[in-house]
Amino acid sequence: MKDILRFGVILFIITAVAAASLGYVNQITKGPIEEQTIIANNEARRKILPLAESFNQLEINVPEKYPIITEAYEGIMNDNLVGYTLKTMPKGYGGIMEVTVGMDIEGNITGVVVGNHNETPGLGAKSKDPEFTNHYRGKRADMDILVIKSGNPKENEVSAISGATVSSRAVTSGVNEAIRYFNENFK
Amino acid sequence: MKFFKIVFNGLKTENPTFVQLLGMCPTLAVTTSAINGVGMGLATTAVLIGTNMVISALKSIIPDKIRIPAYVVVIATIVTIVGLMMKVYVPELDKALGLFIPLIVVNCIILARAEAFASKNSVIHSMADGLGNGLGFAAALFLIGSIREILGAGSWFGMSLFGEAYQPALIMILPPGAFLLLGSLMAFFNFMGSKKSAKKEAK
Repeated sequence: MKDILRFGVILFIITAVAAASLGYVNQITKGPIEEQTIIANNEARRKILPLAESFNQLEINVPEKYPIITEAYEGIMNDNLVGYTLKTMPKGYGGIMEVTVGMDIEGNITGVVVGNHNETPGLGAKSKDPEFTNHYRGKRADMDILVIKSGNPKENEVSAISGATVSSRAVTSGVNEAIRYFNENFK
Repeated sequence: MKFFKIVFNGLKTENPTFVQLLGMCPTLAVTTSAINGVGMGLATTAVLIGTNMVISALKSIIPDKIRIPAYVVVIATIVTIVGLMMKVYVPELDKALGLFIPLIVVNCIILARAEAFASKNSVIHSMADGLGNGLGFAAALFLIGSIREILGAGSWFGMSLFGEAYQPALIMILPPGAFLLLGSLMAFFNFMGSKKSAKKEAK
């Protein structure tokens, strides 16, 4: 009995000291880590909207109308509004995909980036490659983008990745939803 | 002098990767590039030095029967602190190593050295052991990571070595290549070691 008490007290002291040190270190690193996350997110947004140097988050108008749009930011350069970034979460082949779209104020798509996803490596996962996402650049908000499996894509079309039509369609649906939101809220 | 003997022991004689065969999982997983290997090795070294010193300092207080839970609490605390520091000072490395930073907690090397050395030796010597084993681990990861990156991606520490024409051996970046390389290196080091002792006996 005396042993158990002794063990209990010693373990309690060790875990108490551990908890205190962890609490302390967490406090002093919280701020810097948040700053790092903000910087990283800003850098990611600048990749699809290079015109902007800072971003402000916007509230989504009537979110029920746009179930797959999760975030909207406006891009600012020198106090001028230069564009928007919209994060969408369409359903791909293996699950939800994060598709973020950058557009300037006229509705031209400045960039598309695919984030977390569960697509097949070597097939659907290739939708993350710039070779695919670059095809969306320059397309405009006055068109609904279609995915074609063969032939040369016209202005409002993108070629599906060979063997990954579902993933290609999923990314495109995210882009189209961003276009729809732009047309109904930002024009 | 004993300090350096202990360090050298962890570095070569009882190298955690090639001799003790500890920490195989992170070894195979993070050595896809030289910088990741070195980064993980140094993070583990920091943890090892910390845990060895703390456990050595507490060795007379921790009763033998509850030493495992006590050690694990110490190890998990130190790994969490090292992880938070990495997030602040080297965020790209932290992101590249991802889940394997928290997994240092279950890296066999840490608990093995705590049990085998730190619980029975002084704080200074335990620090030396942590330093030696950590650097031995880091050296092994550096070697494996470099070979895998050079053969599998044509670069070293991110610097492209062979130009556009080089077709990298992709298998080196994937798990099978890691196993093959690790086995080959172990065979090589064993061979060199046995040649050396054969020479010694012949004398």
